[in-house]
Amino acid sequence: MMEIFRNMFRRKLRTLLTITGITVGIFAFTVMGSMALRFNKMISGGKSYITGQITIMPKGASYMSGGGSFLPLDTLEKISKVEGVEAVAGGISLMVKEPDPDNPTGGGFGQPATIEGMDLKSAYKNRNWQTIAMKSGRMLDKNDASTNNVAIGYTIASDEKIEVGDKMKIRGKDFNVVGIADQTLTGPDMYVFMPIESARDLLIASTPFLKSLKASSEEAAKISDAALAKLPQATRDQLIQAKAFKVEDLNQMAAASWKDGQDPDVVANRIKDQFKDEALVLSPTKLGETIDKASAVFNAIILGSAVIALIVGGFSIINTMIMSISERKREIGIKKAIGASNRSIAWDYTIEAGFIGIVGGIIGMLLGILVATIINTKTKASGAEIFLIKAWFMAIVVGFSFVLGILAGVLPAIRASKMKVVDAIREL
Amino acid sequence: MSKILIQAKNLHKKYQMTKSNIIHALNGVDIEVQEGDFSAIVGPSGCGKSTLLHILGLLDTLDEGEYNLDGIDARKIKGKDANQVRAKKIGFIFQGFNLIPTLTALENVMQAGRYGGMNFKQRKTRAEELLDMMGLKERMNHKPNELSGGQQQRVAIARALVNKPAIILADEPTGELDSKTSLEIIELLKKLNKENNQTFLMVTHNLEVAQACKKIIQLKDGKNA
Repeated sequence: MMEIFRNMFRRKLRTLLTITGITVGIFAFTVMGSMALRFNKMISGGKSYITGQITIMPKGASYMSGGGSFLPLDTLEKISKVEGVEAVAGGISLMVKEPDPDNPTGGGFGQPATIEGMDLKSAYKNRNWQTIAMKSGRMLDKNDASTNNVAIGYTIASDEKIEVGDKMKIRGKDFNVVGIADQTLTGPDMYVFMPIESARDLLIASTPFLKSLKASSEEAAKISDAALAKLPQATRDQLIQAKAFKVEDLNQMAAASWKDGQDPDVVANRIKDQFKDEALVLSPTKLGETIDKASAVFNAIILGSAVIALIVGGFSIINTMIMSISERKREIGIKKAIGASNRSIAWDYTIEAGFIGIVGGIIGMLLGILVATIINTKTKASGAEIFLIKAWFMAIVVGFSFVLGILAGVLPAIRASKMKVVDAIREL
Repeated sequence: MSKILIQAKNLHKKYQMTKSNIIHALNGVDIEVQEGDFSAIVGPSGCGKSTLLHILGLLDTLDEGEYNLDGIDARKIKGKDANQVRAKKIGFIFQGFNLIPTLTALENVMQAGRYGGMNFKQRKTRAEELLDMMGLKERMNHKPNELSGGQQQRVAIARALVNKPAIILADEPTGELDSKTSLEIIELLKKLNKENNQTFLMVTHNLEVAQACKKIIQLKDGKNA
């Protein structure tokens, strides 16, 4: 065993360079892998949520933007009567900080803090995400509807140092924090769960068009039908339109749950057929497939970085071993002359290559963890962590580097062991 | 009469250097070594001395002839078994500088024990005992480059003795040593032969070494001279 270490350090520079080769490969593997793990975790959390419901959006909106159109309450009530639908809940989603027109994405990497306006009175329940584990306090329930109570995600709470019972100012309004969710490492860490009524108020307050629509609706409500009839046609139409506006119609999206025993895709298609002019219906299976495609990309990144490590590191080990074997031809001859079997010679060289692999692997992994941790600490301030450092993954990384070394060492080792004793001895 | 350890008849070995250039390194050599012999193979350069030693030590194969090593038909020993036979029955001493440079004297000696199938404790005890016998007690944790030529050769002798071989084959054991050290080494080998009845067969063209031997086998052009 000692011989292996001493052999490794016989040609210090060369071994160092080889180890550096492995280190670079394994570093890439660690960093890319941890990033992929983080995204996969985020994606799979999102997937389980999004496939646990039928997502409905108003026509003309995209899932990401939320858009400027809404699903009126009337439509939601009609959807809830479609065969197989258990309940429907409207939802509002808006950023905690009002968007800065000069910097619409907020500048940070990752997910910005988001308000999730929840329809607490609805009987809707996500199939896969019924409850969320709480770190302290409680989740909102139907008694919180129309109150100023909020529950907040883990990251928001820890970033802003908020405890249960504290007041939290959101867009200039005070809210009571009644609960803090446990860390999920996915979307909800950056959520503020809020009754939809309060979320609608915030949305109206920040949207000039809605603000004026609401004001004129309140004005119009004061005018009686009789008085309305006397007004000129154009004004009357405007007022009728304003009167028809209800705050409850402000639903940026809706989620439907299905009754037990129903196939969600069939139910989704039914809704799609009946409301094709008003709504976009996303069936759980289709969304799941889309998400799987995205995670396949990340898995390809892991695999890709592993392959790079394999090529870069593997070849440098093969090269080093072949060189040191031709240097040690004499020694191999002596060992064979004093009775070493081919196997024991092959074994020694393979293990030596394995050690080069594992040393490079451990250094690469530690560097990877270091860099990932530093970047995580930096990005935490502006959003979410990019890397997920998992012990099991690190164990795989180190194991992989050892196996890589062994595999790269096998060929040169077999070459060494097949060397004819007489040829080796002649060099004496 | 003592036991016959090596009995070889009509040994032939050819090396094909190029298509048309075939070297007959051995051209019908006969040799017999008995237990307790202290013999030397002598002859001019290129007469096949080293080739003969390699064949007798199972480092090389023979093309023709009969070879019986301590009751085993050597022609039937193949690959893996040759390692075992070498490890247990034969000890080798080469011409200078034949230790593993990364290992200490003790580790070099122990390594042969490992190939001979001894466990760690056994080979450590045995190696320490032999190095002590070689007068290297104080030097056993030194690497070869920290030892003199004579000391290195004594380590090699200790290594050859580890597995209590039936015979020790030595290829120019004093080849790279000065005459004073050469004599010391020869005296040591003689002492081992006398006190332990250790059999030696060596190749040399050093006259003093040859004279010290009880039996001399002369080769010329791949044949017994």
